Amino acid sequence: MRYASGWLGVAGTGIVWLILLGPVIALLTHLSWSSIVSSLTAPGAWQPLIVSVESGLVTLAVLVVFGTPLARALARGTLPFPRVWEIGVLASLLLPPLVIGLLLIFMVGPFTWIGQLLGHFNIYAVNTFLALVIAEIYESAPYYVLGAQAAFASVDPRLEQQAALLGDRPVRVFRRVTAPLAAPGLAMALAVAWARAMGAFGAVVIIAYHPYGLPLQIWTTLQETGLPSALPFALVLLAVALPLPIAAYIWSARARRRRRG
Amino acid sequence: MLDVDVEVDRRDFVVRAALAVAPGERLALFGPSGAGKTTLLEVIAGLVPPRRARISLSGRVLTSTEAPVIAVPPWQRRVGLLRQDPGLFPHLSVRDNLRYSGGSDAELRSLATALGIEGLLGSMPARVSGGQAHRVALGRLLLSHCDALLLDEPYTGLDASLRRALSELVITLVAERGRPAILVAHELADAQAFACRLAVLDQGRLLQLGSPDEVVARPASRRVAELVGYTAFVPLAGAEQSSAAVAGIHPDRVIGGSHPDRGMVLSGVVAACRPAGALWEVSVRTTSALVTGRLFEPVPVDRELAITVVDPPRFDADGAQVLT
Repeated sequence: MRYASGWLGVAGTGIVWLILLGPVIALLTHLSWSSIVSSLTAPGAWQPLIVSVESGLVTLAVLVVFGTPLARALARGTLPFPRVWEIGVLASLLLPPLVIGLLLIFMVGPFTWIGQLLGHFNIYAVNTFLALVIAEIYESAPYYVLGAQAAFASVDPRLEQQAALLGDRPVRVFRRVTAPLAAPGLAMALAVAWARAMGAFGAVVIIAYHPYGLPLQIWTTLQETGLPSALPFALVLLAVALPLPIAAYIWSARARRRRRG
Repeated sequence: MLDVDVEVDRRDFVVRAALAVAPGERLALFGPSGAGKTTLLEVIAGLVPPRRARISLSGRVLTSTEAPVIAVPPWQRRVGLLRQDPGLFPHLSVRDNLRYSGGSDAELRSLATALGIEGLLGSMPARVSGGQAHRVALGRLLLSHCDALLLDEPYTGLDASLRRALSELVITLVAERGRPAILVAHELADAQAFACRLAVLDQGRLLQLGSPDEVVARPASRRVAELVGYTAFVPLAGAEQSSAAVAGIHPDRVIGGSHPDRGMVLSGVVAACRPAGALWEVSVRTTSALVTGRLFEPVPVDRELAITVVDPPRFDADGAQVLT
């Protein structure tokens, strides 16, 4: 009886696993080698990949620089009215990306004061690389900030206190204790943010139709030439978006195992 | 010399204490849970801001709320704090934990040998036992060359023999280094095993400061007596005393039989008798109170029994000690 329920459990979990992986399996079974070659050798085929990777890297840099201190302050509860700050982070998570795109037009579009201010410096935040980065930041920031917040919250403040009493000033405490202990969680948060930024579409399609990143390349290819020719780009997107999360997952699992001795 | 004179706010009372601990001296802060003992240590370590304080350590002023206002941050105080949770850094090996704040390799090796942890240097903290983790934490503290040691009930939760061994280790190592040390304890035996001097703290107030035996034999007040284990207070027999004066009875300071030359003799009926360690805890119902003593021999219940309370401390109606 016990064995039967055990096997049922495994089978049930397996089915759920297969369903979740279904889209990836479908992608791999519907791709033909020749279509991959013809799509990727077309002139300009690699441009969206470069745009996506570049904008993704800039997005990650911005998130790390500005999101990490925010996440740490949220985790430590050092900010006054912590709920208010959390609402700010949650807003960009809970708003549908399309809505974010629309609202961004009203925020940084050419006829807003921010847009006009930027215009003075010949900077434009619609249909430019900057617009793409802004859209990606809005779509990925909450995933990074909330993940990093959880990572920092998992560090026992008494360890930081102990490090301080052993003679480390706060910056050194962060470098020697807080950051290494939060690193596995931070890596995961960063990886998820990367995948989100790579796949950002809703806000991007409205505010940054140009330059094309991979998601828009898939969309326009689908519109213009149909499903089969869009699939190779989907594979490219997965190939770019997934390795970092997988590497982060493996690395953080190993870091945790090493800590257990 | 660690000189402490502080007032710090707690939610329901103010902790006030003035203490001076000489180099190499071991002071135990004893008191019930919530008396403000940990708060006092945290103020000394610079983790909790005081309302009013003057703290100096080997001539350096660490905290002063009067002009010139000084608040040395924790990382510059050179004050080591050991808590119940050893607080080893889980991502560093035992060796890296030990040398977190420096120390030469030779020093590390000799200390590891003294602590009996030389075989663990390559292990991760998750792999060492609770007692070993405490040894590592102690070693880390000593290698940091702090000028004072604060021990906040560090060995609570460990078994008695391990606790005794660690306590003796601290005593040896503190003596070698000639640093002032303060131990916070809510078990009297732990405090006595460690300290040269004992401070009794209750509700934020320092009730008595004395040698570990004096505090038990001559409690300064009825409250101190209660805290160090006196369980009954009976009216004094002699008519010459004021009617409200009482004698304190500690179960360990009671002997069987009538010995008027050694103290106060009480008699009554045995209400209960049960084993307590190697002794027998006998409760005797006297005319005024239920008195408990620990005796060598069991006594049948309901038997008439005379007991002698050896040299009991006396307290007046206000609870203050009556000196005789």
